[in-house]
Amino acid sequence: MINIRDKGAQVWENSGRTGRVAIATLVIAVVASLPFMGGTILNTPIASYESVLVYPIAMFVLMAIGLNIVIGKSGLLDLGYVAFFAIGAYTMGLLGTKTGLNTWEILPIGIAMSMFAGLVLGVPALKLRGDYLAIITLGFGEIVRIVALNLGALGRSEGIIGIPTPPPVFGIEFSFDSHRIYYWTLLIMILLAIWMVRRLSARRAGRAWESIRQDEDVAELLGVPTFRYKIWAFVLGASVGGAAGVIYASKTLFIAPDNFTLQISILILACVVFGGMGNIWGVILGAVVLGYLPDRIRFLSEARLLVFGLVLVLMMNLRPDGLLPRKKREKAIKAKEAV
Amino acid sequence: MNKKLTTSLVFASVASLIFGVTTASTAQAAPKKITLAFQGPLTGEEAQVGQDEVAGVEYAIKLFNAKYKNKYQVLLVKADDQGAPDQAAKVAPGIASNAKIIGLIGAAYSGATIASLPYYKQRNLPMVSPSATRVSITDPAAGAIGFPVFHRVVVTDKVQGPSLFKLATKGVAGPKAFIVDDQSAYGVGLVDYMKPVIPAGQAVGYDSVSDKTTDWSATIAKVKTAGANVVIYTGYFPQAAPFFKQLRDSGYTGILAGGDGVLSPSFPTLAPAAVLEGVRLTAGTVPLAEISAKLEADFKKKMGKASGVYAAESIDAANVFLSCVAKGVSTRAAMLKCVKAYKGKSLTGSTIKFDINGDVAGGAMNGFEVRNGVIKFTGAIK
Amino acid sequence: MIGNFFDQFWSLTFGGLSLGFIYILIALGYTLVYGVLRMINFANSEIFMVGTFATVIVIRDLYKFTQSSEYATGFRLWLVLGTALIITMIISGLLSMVVELVAYRRLRRRNSGVLAPLISAIGVSMVLAESVRIMTDSRPVASPRAMEKSFIGKFFDADIRLDNTIIVIAALLLFFTLWNFINRTRLGKAIRAVSMNPSAAKLMGIDIDKIVSATFLIGGVMTGAAGFFYVLKYENTASSIGFELGIAAFTAAILGGIGNIKGAFFGGLALGLLETYASFFLGTQWKAVTVFIVLVMVLYTRPNGLFGESITQTRV
Repeated sequence: MINIRDKGAQVWENSGRTGRVAIATLVIAVVASLPFMGGTILNTPIASYESVLVYPIAMFVLMAIGLNIVIGKSGLLDLGYVAFFAIGAYTMGLLGTKTGLNTWEILPIGIAMSMFAGLVLGVPALKLRGDYLAIITLGFGEIVRIVALNLGALGRSEGIIGIPTPPPVFGIEFSFDSHRIYYWTLLIMILLAIWMVRRLSARRAGRAWESIRQDEDVAELLGVPTFRYKIWAFVLGASVGGAAGVIYASKTLFIAPDNFTLQISILILACVVFGGMGNIWGVILGAVVLGYLPDRIRFLSEARLLVFGLVLVLMMNLRPDGLLPRKKREKAIKAKEAV
Repeated sequence: MNKKLTTSLVFASVASLIFGVTTASTAQAAPKKITLAFQGPLTGEEAQVGQDEVAGVEYAIKLFNAKYKNKYQVLLVKADDQGAPDQAAKVAPGIASNAKIIGLIGAAYSGATIASLPYYKQRNLPMVSPSATRVSITDPAAGAIGFPVFHRVVVTDKVQGPSLFKLATKGVAGPKAFIVDDQSAYGVGLVDYMKPVIPAGQAVGYDSVSDKTTDWSATIAKVKTAGANVVIYTGYFPQAAPFFKQLRDSGYTGILAGGDGVLSPSFPTLAPAAVLEGVRLTAGTVPLAEISAKLEADFKKKMGKASGVYAAESIDAANVFLSCVAKGVSTRAAMLKCVKAYKGKSLTGSTIKFDINGDVAGGAMNGFEVRNGVIKFTGAIK
Repeated sequence: MIGNFFDQFWSLTFGGLSLGFIYILIALGYTLVYGVLRMINFANSEIFMVGTFATVIVIRDLYKFTQSSEYATGFRLWLVLGTALIITMIISGLLSMVVELVAYRRLRRRNSGVLAPLISAIGVSMVLAESVRIMTDSRPVASPRAMEKSFIGKFFDADIRLDNTIIVIAALLLFFTLWNFINRTRLGKAIRAVSMNPSAAKLMGIDIDKIVSATFLIGGVMTGAAGFFYVLKYENTASSIGFELGIAAFTAAILGGIGNIKGAFFGGLALGLLETYASFFLGTQWKAVTVFIVLVMVLYTRPNGLFGESITQTRV
């Protein structure tokens, strides 16, 4: 089987500085021009292609990158990631309709809120055995939804209506139907998230996470403050989810508890695993495929989700490490030694 | 489809391929193609509501196409929003920008409607919903979020809530009502609009129970401690049937009542006839079988399955558009004007026309009762 | 409210207990698989859902009960219930084995961690739930009443109902059969051996594939029995019920200490009671929140659940 990831990594590593800039520019240009491909085979039936690009695709990519910090990098199984998305969205909804703050001012508040929630959940949850984290996070995701469903201030089941769109930036208007503008905004956020993750992975935090993922007990024995790094991974992951939530709310103008079900957590988790846990490019690919697929195969109508399930089973069996699996560090080291 | 029709369709499509649309529409034999859309949950957990409604819409279109087979051929685009706002928000831009579609039956759910509305308003696509009953969509005080494109053939929760309480406590000396909602915007809304009309002391308790509940013993215990003799459930029939069944099995003998979410032909099939005997229901319209057995039989024959919840509303909603199509309407702007001016009869014979906000004017609330495992019409609630 | 609570105490307790016994049986499905594979069998909830449909089909289509037909009595009643239970257990058990083959086996052989099988199990549960949804036209399906829900006695103020009594007794019997099976038989010992130390078990000549298959079979059989009792008690089902009950049962398994069948037993009972009391006291809408808080507190003070063994014993 051809290993696309290794091929890609090879090309990247063998290029000089100018080569790398050229590759990155080309890739970004191609991705940024996706909204113009509506007329091609990429088009989605019924659902609007451009809005599918924004939600779910770009939004899923952003969230998957965030969840990947938690699961892929440090090996913590989080089944309630939607909670942070919801907290970001509700912060936007509440502050956007009740105060004069605009989206860009709320964005840091939303991120801070979800990071705080990550901390509140993480401190007790991460002290527990790894296996239990799954159910605790799953429960937390549901709790956030249930609280939104039952608190009058959050609009209960009716949700929050009339959330404002972001104010113009450099003269670019954000109208609710200018999907492209939102898509490009998300693209910038995705690039920032990728940059952040890559920076961290190459440093102390990345090595600490890697050691936790491989064997927590050994890492602890070797003096890695595992608990602190786990909290860090959790809170950073939450921040990305919160940012996605803020943008989501100011795009859809209307949020309700129904938007934040457990299914979203599971889908994002599926994106991460399906694409290739731990490898950011794989995760992105996974999110693109799983976000896009259900709308592309709408012609199957009734059997759509059935086929989606089949794809999950088949793909996991054929490529258990995902479409673009993580680099096998050991292998890479051995190869270097051989040279 | 008969052979002649098929042939003419083939000719029409070939002609339109060669000469373009204008030529085809002037040709005598070729029916004019008009596209409508339906939006509602067709997959996922809420699918059964949407599937029932789309069957009603398809039935109406089938009758129309048969009647005008040389003049018009109405096509239907089915847009699945799973009843969820997030799905609706990506389906709506697609429907809105599909210029062929000149009218939308839906959305089925209020949440999905609200999420879709910005797109339809922007592209001026007229909507007639068979089942979105949330008050705020047409309420000018809430910002008239549906104006001008949104219309509905169903009366709102604001009308139904009080009627439901009135029907449930009718003929009960010293009513003590216990009211349970399903936490949905629909169920909570009904209770909210019911509360102001409840005389002091007649409501002895409330509960708010997730629509995924299977075990009702805690709610039943509350009903019993409250000493209620009337239990009202504002939710949908899949939960209402087990709730009522468990309540009866625990020895409760008082009155049971529910709103139009419970009024489904499937409802009586979900519990023994003895258990559901006497359950009181309210709704804006009537099940097809109650309107006429012949209608239901014809529906079953043509659609291959029994009619479901909101079947009559779906047919009514489709008929609003279809009667405009019959008048020669073929653009969104004309359709919107036609819908705004529409005045016609519903299946039950009442008048359908819309007020400025899109609400159906003068819709009556009807009362029903389950008798021997069948939902029987008991007359309008006054 | 407190006074009312004592009025209703025994009704609530019986309600919670019979629900708890259904949780126990589903939780066994999770806990057995977890014990052997250290994996959450996400598809177990849908095995339960298919089980409920198997029961409905037996009662409705095999015995031709309808909503208005006479209740079965005497021998015929036991015949109906017995065949429905056994057929349901067989179908669910076999389905569970198929799930293992499709979703787990290949991945397990390739040693590909915990997450890939989790996602493939999620895929399998989507396939099962959606297939049934399409077959049932997305409608809930009712089981006709085969058995009269008669009161057989009173305990303080609470009525004791026949169906609840049957559920409790039968579930207890099933549980103790399983208990004996795991602790006394050769196969049971092999299952325990694999769950304690798979590599050592393999060295001792135990066929791991066979043991895993058998574990899924037993887990499926127990989950199927839960499906039968569920239909007996609530008399209806739908393609979407698996998820909710699955999550609850999984919570029960963890509350008691996952990987250990005693834990599933007490976890199931505790959860059934907790949910019922919390719904009464705090309002049904806060049930899930209460369960969550209690779960966090239990896990925080007892990191292995109420009855979990210590890490050194369960971990390799």
